[in-house]
Amino acid sequence: MRLTQGQFSFLPDLTDEEITKQVQYALDQGWAVAVEFTDDPHPRNSYWTMWGNPMFDLRDAKGVMMEIDACRTAHPEQYVKVLAFDSSYGFETVRMSYLINRPAVEPGFELLRSEGPGRRIGYTVRSYATGRPSGERYGGEARHGA
Amino acid sequence: MAKWARRNDMILHLHRAGHSTYTRQKSHGVSFRVIAKWMRMAGVDHIHAGTVVGKLEGDPNVIRGIYDTCRETHVPQNLQHGIFFDQPWAGLKRVMPVASGGIHAGQMHQLLTYLGEDVILQFGGGTIGHPDGIQAGATANRVALEVMVKARNEGRDIWNEGPEILRDAARWCAPLRAALDTWKDVTFDYASTDSVDYVPTPTAAM
Repeated sequence: MRLTQGQFSFLPDLTDEEITKQVQYALDQGWAVAVEFTDDPHPRNSYWTMWGNPMFDLRDAKGVMMEIDACRTAHPEQYVKVLAFDSSYGFETVRMSYLINRPAVEPGFELLRSEGPGRRIGYTVRSYATGRPSGERYGGEARHGA
Repeated sequence: MAKWARRNDMILHLHRAGHSTYTRQKSHGVSFRVIAKWMRMAGVDHIHAGTVVGKLEGDPNVIRGIYDTCRETHVPQNLQHGIFFDQPWAGLKRVMPVASGGIHAGQMHQLLTYLGEDVILQFGGGTIGHPDGIQAGATANRVALEVMVKARNEGRDIWNEGPEILRDAARWCAPLRAALDTWKDVTFDYASTDSVDYVPTPTAAM
């Protein structure tokens, strides 16, 4: 199941040229760009691992692309996203967020039901991948360590 | 109500059905700009603020004044937008404007141009009316939005190239293709009764 989180996730995967243009747009707005990765794709998981600090002082998309490439190369079988943070008064929040890498195989989510009083059902989802420990969830990466 | 909504983990949405009974008259009633301002101060989270395109009338300048009142931290005087004096909002929280009423995927370039991206676009019939079902309708709308934001960020002129951008996406996205075929260029072109009081008149240079 193809993960749809953040901007542009209903579109075909962005090419490097397309990623560069989006990064440049964010930098032109004065936003700081950051790269994060995870192998826990739950939609409410907002604590992805930071690939270094947000690049607060960087003004050229090329530098960001180098970090993106480094993160993708280190974690080819994880989700990697690019974020743009707006520090201006009144926003002080993430303004852009989009996936730029995904595992080759995405098993998707299981729908879980919990029964409560009065036949009430609570619903939640669990990624099939997170049944295994972090680092061993998607294809090849466990083999690198083994 | 805003306090109750926060205490009870609810979002307070303001729908404005019937507002035209008092917002359309020049001679009496209350402009919707005033309502928007009042509701921002009262702690409303979303407010139906006008759509410009779609089945409900709306003058682009009037809508812009209302959206600025909802979203900006500083709204400078702008008579064309119906803003009569500078309005510094300082740290007062914004209200998320909501646009709805007969909108569909084919208008995405117009919606993004007029309303920006900090807005909730509610496609009702434009989702449920999709010939392949509601999920296909939702996909069509999401794809249309994403290609348009992407194109705008890339520096393309979405106002003029919008239909072409949508057609290109429809080549690989069957739900979007069906949506564009269904609604084509369905549009409503009213002369709005809710117009601004000031219109700039060009004068000969002295």
